[in-house]
This record gives sequence, C-alpha cells and structure tokens, in this order.
Amino acid sequence: MAASWTLTEGSPMKVCFVTTGATAPFTALIESLLEPSSLDALREGGYTHLLIQFGTAKDVFETRAQAARNYLQQQGNETFAIGGMDFDPNGLREQFKLVQQSKGLVISHAGSGSILATLRYQIPLVVVPNDQLLDNHQEELAIAMERSNYLLRGDVKNLAPAIQKSADFRIKMAQFPPITSGKHRETKSFAAIMDETMGFLD
Amino acid sequence: MAPPPSSLYTLSFFLAALTTLLVCASLRLLAILPRTPFRPQPIRRKPIATRVLIVLGSGGHTHEMFYLLRELDTSKYTHRTYVVSSGDAFSAQRAVEFEGELEVREKARLRRKEELEEEEDEKLEGQNGKIATQNEERQACTGPDHYNVATVPRARHIYQSILTTPVSSLWTLWKSFPPLLAAPPLLPDQSPQTPYEAAAQDLPDLILTNGPATGVIIVLGSLILRFFNLRGANSRGKCKTVYVESFARVKTLSLSGKLLLRVVDRFVVQWEALEGKGGRAEFWGVLV
Repeated sequence: MAASWTLTEGSPMKVCFVTTGATAPFTALIESLLEPSSLDALREGGYTHLLIQFGTAKDVFETRAQAARNYLQQQGNETFAIGGMDFDPNGLREQFKLVQQSKGLVISHAGSGSILATLRYQIPLVVVPNDQLLDNHQEELAIAMERSNYLLRGDVKNLAPAIQKSADFRIKMAQFPPITSGKHRETKSFAAIMDETMGFLD
Repeated sequence: MAPPPSSLYTLSFFLAALTTLLVCASLRLLAILPRTPFRPQPIRRKPIATRVLIVLGSGGHTHEMFYLLRELDTSKYTHRTYVVSSGDAFSAQRAVEFEGELEVREKARLRRKEELEEEEDEKLEGQNGKIATQNEERQACTGPDHYNVATVPRARHIYQSILTTPVSSLWTLWKSFPPLLAAPPLLPDQSPQTPYEAAAQDLPDLILTNGPATGVIIVLGSLILRFFNLRGANSRGKCKTVYVESFARVKTLSLSGKLLLRVVDRFVVQWEALEGKGGRAEFWGVLV
C-alpha cells in the first residue's frame, strides 16, 4: 500500500522514510517516531507522509500508528499520512527515490548496510544507534560519520531535535562516497589500489 | 669408520632434523611474507589477461565488496572468480547480478563510442576523406565466459561447537585449493585457446577479501601455495592479497583483520583511527 504512494504534480508531498533493520527489530525507534513530539517536529518541518518499514515488529507498529492517528485527529490534522511496510527483499530503491524526489528525510537504525544504501541517493539521513545492542560498533560508526558531515545522529529517546536539524543539514551535507575526503591528504579509489598492487602504474 | 645406519634413529638426530626444518620454514615464511609497508612496484609488461579471486561473505561483507568493485575495469581484470560459502545463495546471486551490470555498462559504453565515431567519421570525410580509427584499446571482458562462482564449505556453521571448528576449517581449506588453482575451463578437458582462458585457468593474480571467515582461509591457502611455490605461485608473483577492513570498523580491527594484518600484501582500512595498525594498515579515505 504505502509503496504505491506517488508523487503528483501540484500536490506538495514530503516523505519521511524510516527503516529499522532486517535482523533485530528496533521497536524503540518505531515507538519513538510515533510519539507526539516526533510527529509535531515532522509536521513543522513540512512533512506530509511518514512511511515506516517495521520489519518483524508489525504489532507494535499497528497499535502505535493507531494512537498516533488519533493524536493527529485531535489536533485537527487529517492530511498527515502514516503508512507501514514489511521487510522487502528487493531492496528499498523505490522508497529512497520517493524520498529523493519529495526532498524528504530518511531515519534509520545505524547499521552500516542501511547507511551505505541511503547515502548513495544524496538524501539527508538521521541514524539512531540502538542502545539495546551490546558490543557493537554502531555508535562508533555513527559518531565518525556525523563528524565527517555525512549524516546526523539521533537519540531514540527524543527524535525531535534531529528532525529539526535535518532541514539545515540538507544544504551542508557532504557528498558520499567522497570524491576527495581529506583536506590535506591524497585519496584513492579502490580501483587505483588494485592497479597499484598489480603494478599497473601508468 | 662410518657409524652404522641404525645410529640415525636416535632422539638427538630427530631433534636436529626438526630444528633444521623449523629454521628453514621460518626463513621461507619470512621470505614470502610481505614487506612492511607496501610499496608499489611497476611491472615492465602488463599481462593481457589476469584473474582476480574475490571472496564474498555474509550479507554485509558482500554488499561492501560490490561497493568496492563498482569501478572494476574488466579490460585489466579479465577473469573474476567469486568464492562463496555453501548455502550463501544471496552472495552467489549478487555476483551474477554484478556481472550482468558490468555487461550492460560495457554495451552502453560501446554504443556511445560508436555514435561518437560515426559523428567523427562524418566530420573527417567532409574534411579530407580520411578515416582514422586506431583501436589500441584493451578489450573489455564481460559475460559468462569471464567469470565463475565457486563454492566452498562453510568454515563454521551457526551454533557449531568451537571444538569442531578447526576440523571444518581444515575441510574448507582443502576445498579452497581448486578455486585457487584454476577456474574451470569453458569446455570440459579443453586446454586454453586464448590468453584470457589461460589466465582464467592459472593461479589468481590478485585475491580480494574484506572480512568473512572464508577469506582468512583462502588467504591461508594462497600462503601455502606461495610457501611451496606451487605452480610458480611465488616466483611468478601470483596470489597477491588485499584485505579491506569493513567500513563499519572505526576504532578496532575485526577478528579477520587481526588475523590477516601481517599476512596480506596490502591491508587497507577505511577510518583514519586505524591507520598504521601493525605498522602497515593503509588509509586512503572511505572506499565503499
């Protein structure tokens, strides 16, 4: 259903797409996004659609989404749409394109695969490290990536600040993969490293 | 008077033999293990055809490997062997998809080039009627004849006991020699007809891995080939190894990284904090 949302000329659409990872469901991220504070931040940012890839946490999503819709109705906002989708083995190309075209935002768990896939589309990305996971390097990677201006880091307890920051971030975000990533050092592509190792020096 | 032959079967003789063997083995290892750090050495004549062996692993490693390979030049790396673990259908499928993309890209490039040449020909004919199209360019090598996917048994199954892992790893090592030694011929029992086929049925020139356990075992296998200089693995400079640490490792090396740090010809990391690990980790920016 949600994947068929289409961008039509004239009707303003701004999509926030959320991906929570295929292996371990990150329910805290789903819950946090459907909190009134996050919803308010999204609406203030001009977002019209929130699409959540819930993976295996369908039940959590449905109950929370219903509560969120009720909240929006109380506020007198009928236009903000909330949709959910399952894990898609064919990848998320369509969803990323939709975000790209609608000048939207992706909020993701901090898995390296999701980060790499999203940044190819040159769309603003907020990553939320899962603090429930022990001994993993998500936090380290998120910090390093934020320092290089590739993405923003969000706190699962309060996502509103990151959503607000993402509006300005769109302008200053660094290109990924980097063309020249260092200010003072020579960079190489992997193709060049392969050639060097083989002795193919021109 | 010479001592009787039975005097050779003494403990001290065996100890002496063992020590000699150990010393020889260590010297050999020192000789084949890479210099620190890597220094590029240009070769006089570029080979027409080469084979590169690419080790794929579980989902994440495979994804990163194909990001790394996005600019792969098939006119230089004419045969690709993808090694996957048994049961990893995803990686095998990704390899086939990637090769399909290479093929499409090459066809598009040729079409563009033809169009350009036609335009130029028209211009030239208008000027002096001379057509100058020298084709010294190397031939791009895409399509099913230029790659193969080899399967090796998994080194360690999920939930496998730590006690039996060495046994299954040895089995993986044994099974990793066929793909290391050659890619299968295009037709069964046919000797190579072209330089491309010859390179495909030879040892790999380059071995690429980025962290799966299978990669560690394949590199170990290549070291054995170089140690004994099997098929000229060492004397012909074959089986050069490149390890790329995962983009997800920012401050510490992965287990595979630690194991291979001093063994591979080049050890590449993607975050500055890891530069210089073991006196040889190279950093050239994010590569994926």
